[in-house]
Formats: sequence, C-alpha cells, structure tokens
Amino acid sequence: MPDLLTWASDPARRRPLLRLLVAAQVLYVLGVAGAGYATTALGQHIVLATTPVDPRDLLYGDFVRLRYAISEAPLSQWRGETPPRRRQGVFLLLATGPDSLSTTVGVYPKAPTAGPSQAVLRAWVTDVYRNSLALRFNLERYYVPEGSGLRLEKAGRRHPLRVHVSIAPWGQARIARVEDAGAGRK
Amino acid sequence: MSRKFLENESPGWVADGLISEAQRQQLLARYPPEAQAVGLLPLLGSVLVGLSALSVVAANWQGLPAVLRVALLLGSLLGAYGAGAYFLRRGNADLGHGLIGLGLIVFGASIILVSQLYQLVGYDVSGLLAWVVAGVALSYVYGSRLLVLLTVVIGAAVQTYCVQVLGSFSYATAALVAVGLGYYWWRRPAVVSSTVLATGLLWQAGLLVIVLHAKITWFFVPAMAIYAAGDWQASRSGARALQGPPLVAAYLFMVGLATFGETDTYANVLRPPLLPYLLSLGAVFAISVVGKRARGRFDTLLDWLLLLPGFYLPGGLPLAVATLVVLYAHAGSVLARAHRQQDSDQLTVGAVLFVVATAVAYFKLTWAFLDKSLFFLLGGVLLLGLSWYLRRRNAQTLAAAPPPAQPAASKGADEATQPS
Repeated sequence: MPDLLTWASDPARRRPLLRLLVAAQVLYVLGVAGAGYATTALGQHIVLATTPVDPRDLLYGDFVRLRYAISEAPLSQWRGETPPRRRQGVFLLLATGPDSLSTTVGVYPKAPTAGPSQAVLRAWVTDVYRNSLALRFNLERYYVPEGSGLRLEKAGRRHPLRVHVSIAPWGQARIARVEDAGAGRK
Repeated sequence: MSRKFLENESPGWVADGLISEAQRQQLLARYPPEAQAVGLLPLLGSVLVGLSALSVVAANWQGLPAVLRVALLLGSLLGAYGAGAYFLRRGNADLGHGLIGLGLIVFGASIILVSQLYQLVGYDVSGLLAWVVAGVALSYVYGSRLLVLLTVVIGAAVQTYCVQVLGSFSYATAALVAVGLGYYWWRRPAVVSSTVLATGLLWQAGLLVIVLHAKITWFFVPAMAIYAAGDWQASRSGARALQGPPLVAAYLFMVGLATFGETDTYANVLRPPLLPYLLSLGAVFAISVVGKRARGRFDTLLDWLLLLPGFYLPGGLPLAVATLVVLYAHAGSVLARAHRQQDSDQLTVGAVLFVVATAVAYFKLTWAFLDKSLFFLLGGVLLLGLSWYLRRRNAQTLAAAPPPAQPAASKGADEATQPS
C-alpha cells in the first residue's frame, strides 16, 4: 500500500525534501518583503484622516491602533442590489478632496473602475447598523518605533493624523507613513 | 523495566541463584543508562532560544535597517535548519529535531516580523497559514514526535490568533491540522502525538463554536467525530489515546451539568434545535458503532453514555437526577470493563469516577432530600455491592473459560503493535 509517510520520510529523499522546504520558506519570506516594496513602488498613494486609539502590543513592540474617518460609511453610499452583510468583502471608491484627504464616494460589492484622482480600496464589513456600515481595511495597525506610539496616540487625541497609504495594482494596501499634521512630522 | 529497577533488584537475583553475576552484567549492559528527560531538553532548549532570539531582536529591531532585518531572519532560519540536518546526519536525532523545530519557529517569527516591517500585518491569515503548511510538511519528512507536537501547537496558536484578532475562523488551518496530521496519526498512532493531536483539534473545535455563537453543546459533534475516528484506528492504544481528550471533555460537561444544570437558565443556553443536533450526533454515533464493530471493541460502547443529551430535560431535579444516573452508570461501565480486562489502571480510573459521581450527588441531593449519614451509607453499600458482584462474575468467567492468559496475551500483542 502506498504510504505517504514512508515515502516522505525515506532517508534518501529527506535531504532534497528539506532543501525544497527551506527554499520555499525563504522564498515565502522574501515574497512577503517583496510585496511590501512593490506596493510602495508601484502603488497609488492616498492620504486618510484618523484618530488612533489603544497603543502597545505585548509581544511585537509598539503599534498604534488606527480608526479612520472612512471606517464608517452611511448606508446611503451602498451601491449594491442586496443589503450588505457582516464579513462581506466590499470595495470603497475614494476621491481626493482639496485638502488632499481621500473621502468615500461609494461602497460597492464589486470593484468599480476609478476615475482620475479616484482610488479603490478593499474593505470588509464588520457591522451593519440601521443607517451606517462599519468597515475595516487591514490598515488598523501601524507598527511604530519604540515609544513613539504613545506620542502619536497623544497627538491623535488632539487632532486627526494623516495616514499615507499605498494601494498596489493587485489591491493590497499598506501604510507608507503616519503624519502628525498638527505638530509637523512625527 | 527501568534500569534503576534492574540495578536494585539484580543483586538479589544473583544471591538467590536465579542468574549468575556474569548474566547480571550482561543484563545491565543490555539496558544502558539513558536520561529520559533528555528527550524533552531539545524541545525546551529550542523554545527558550527561539524566545530569547525573538526578544533580543525585537528590542533592537527598530534600529536596524530593513534589509538587515530580513537578512537576520533568513540567516537564523537557514542556520537552524542547516544545524538540524547536520546533527541528524551525525545521528543525534533529539538535537537535530529540536533544531529543525527551531527553524520552524523562526519561520513563523519571520512571517510576522517581515509583515510588520512592511506594515502588511492586517487581518489576513494566509501569511500564517504557510506556517502550518511548513509544519505539516516537516512532520512528514522527519516523522518526529516533536515536530508533530509543534505543528499541533502552531495550528492552535494560528487559529486562536485568527479568532481573537480577526474574529473569524480559519477553516483552512483546521482542515490542514485535521487532515494532514490526522493521516499521520492514522499511520503512526504514537501515543503522545494522539493525545496532543486530539487536544489541539478540540481547542479548534471550541474556537469554532465560539465564533459561530453556537450553543456550546454543538462542540460535542466535532469532538465525538474525533472519538469516532479512534474507533477505526487499528492500534488500540493509539485509538484510546486519541479518544481520551473528547471523553474527558464530555465527562467534565456532564459533571458541570449535574452540578449547575438544575437551574433552568443554564439548561436553556445548552439546547440546540433538537432534530439537527440529534441527527448529527446520531450520525457520528453510527460511524463510531460501525467502527467499534469492525475492530471488535464493543466493550467501549458505553463511553457514549456521557453524550446522552440530558440537557433537553426540564431543568431542576429531573435533570440533576438524570445526569447523576448517567455518571454512575458510566463509572460502573468503566469499572466493569476494567474488571473484565484485569486492567488495574482502568480500575483506578473507574473508582475515581465513582467517587466523583458520589461527591456530586452528595452536594446536589443530600442537603435537600436525604440525611447525610444515610447517603454515605447508601453510597458505600452501592460500591461494596458492585465490587462483590464484579468479583463474583469474574470468578464465574474464570471458572467457565479456561484461558486466563487471554487478556494478558491480547494486551501484550497490543503493546507490541504500538511503536515506541
């Protein structure tokens, strides 16, 4: 009877298999790093306004939890035929205003085509209220150098922060930097 | 037989003329002293080194340029795997597996830290899923108990992260652990891996129930599916090791029901829709029964007593009494089976179960309904009566059937099939 375990743990096959596995892991980590570079290099840049809350993570050093002005959208901006559901993946059409901040134009169940000075951001519905939608973007955590998380948080309590986000052509978004607009550079 | 036992007892054997001094030396040479704890040291070592590396690097992390950080992570990854393979070739299996396990831990740390570096850590679990895939693949290649254990823990950790931080259940993670390591268990049911695997899967099943906001009793459908898989396992010891955790969970639930279930508020929280619940549990029961029949293990059928859905009874006294009856019946079945198989360990377990049932009954019933001394009297008489009956039956079976060697022989055969 063919036994996958016997096949895989055959001493003759062990060395090539380990090399393959280790190479795959190295490539994977490099791929994660490459995706990060590529998103900034090739992506579209937008600026979002926030208020951060709740800093500090136990293991991974400091991060700031960010809440965006666009994290809540009125239901009137929903462009789907069926009502939105929790955990549904949606697309935000963003337009850049005169203050260079992006604001929501509409929330779509399928990716819309963006016009000039518009961008599409992937989002997930976390809650559906009577008149509005709560959304998340996978951009709610910003990892910052030791100690400055608290500074940012204090600044964020006084006035909105400006978050520079890069959106890759394939939809992945990441935070390029966070700016404390009120007090100059962070 | 332990080396220590041999060292202590063998001079007596020589004195009694059972063996000669030369034979004693031969016996001692046959069982060289080995530290059992050594098997655990590489595991602890790799965990500690991994943690220290993580914290040292994390402390200075922000000061390092991005390229250096990635290089550092990949360097330690390659170093750990390389050293592991080197020690394995030199024949030092424990250290080799420990270092390979360390490589696996570094891989997970690399995914997390690199995603963080590029602000890619969000609500996406697919990055961590690769960690579980790597764990399963390495377990297959090295057939090492340590790696299996590590993979089960990684699977449970990834799932916990998913549920806690992302608020969603990763079915892919659960399927990878269940199918990938389940197949491993099916082929190599080594005892430690089985218990660990069952516990890890139960953990994930519990998380699923939490995420779905289902009635907690739904937990027992996947839990007993794990149990039923045990019934199809050829190796009996491997099967029982896998079945232990689900049975413990079911038992604790039954005790909880007997202790707290009398108020109707609790009972209502536990009731899923009757028909779907009974149908799914019934389906698992059928799979289990067919498996028991195929493997000739009907003696364990009464394990299912613990799954009787007593929580559909109206709360209050009927529920309390019904659960107590079930607890007593289950303890009795374990005792009876242990007696039949002359298994002293199971006998102890059965006695403990009996005492627990009695203790619960004491706290639940005596204050309201029975005089305490009378209750103890009843409990003691019950226990004595049961023991007398079991002894009598035992004597009868021994007198009727000639081979008393039967249970011992089958037990020995069972141990022989179990890989050590």
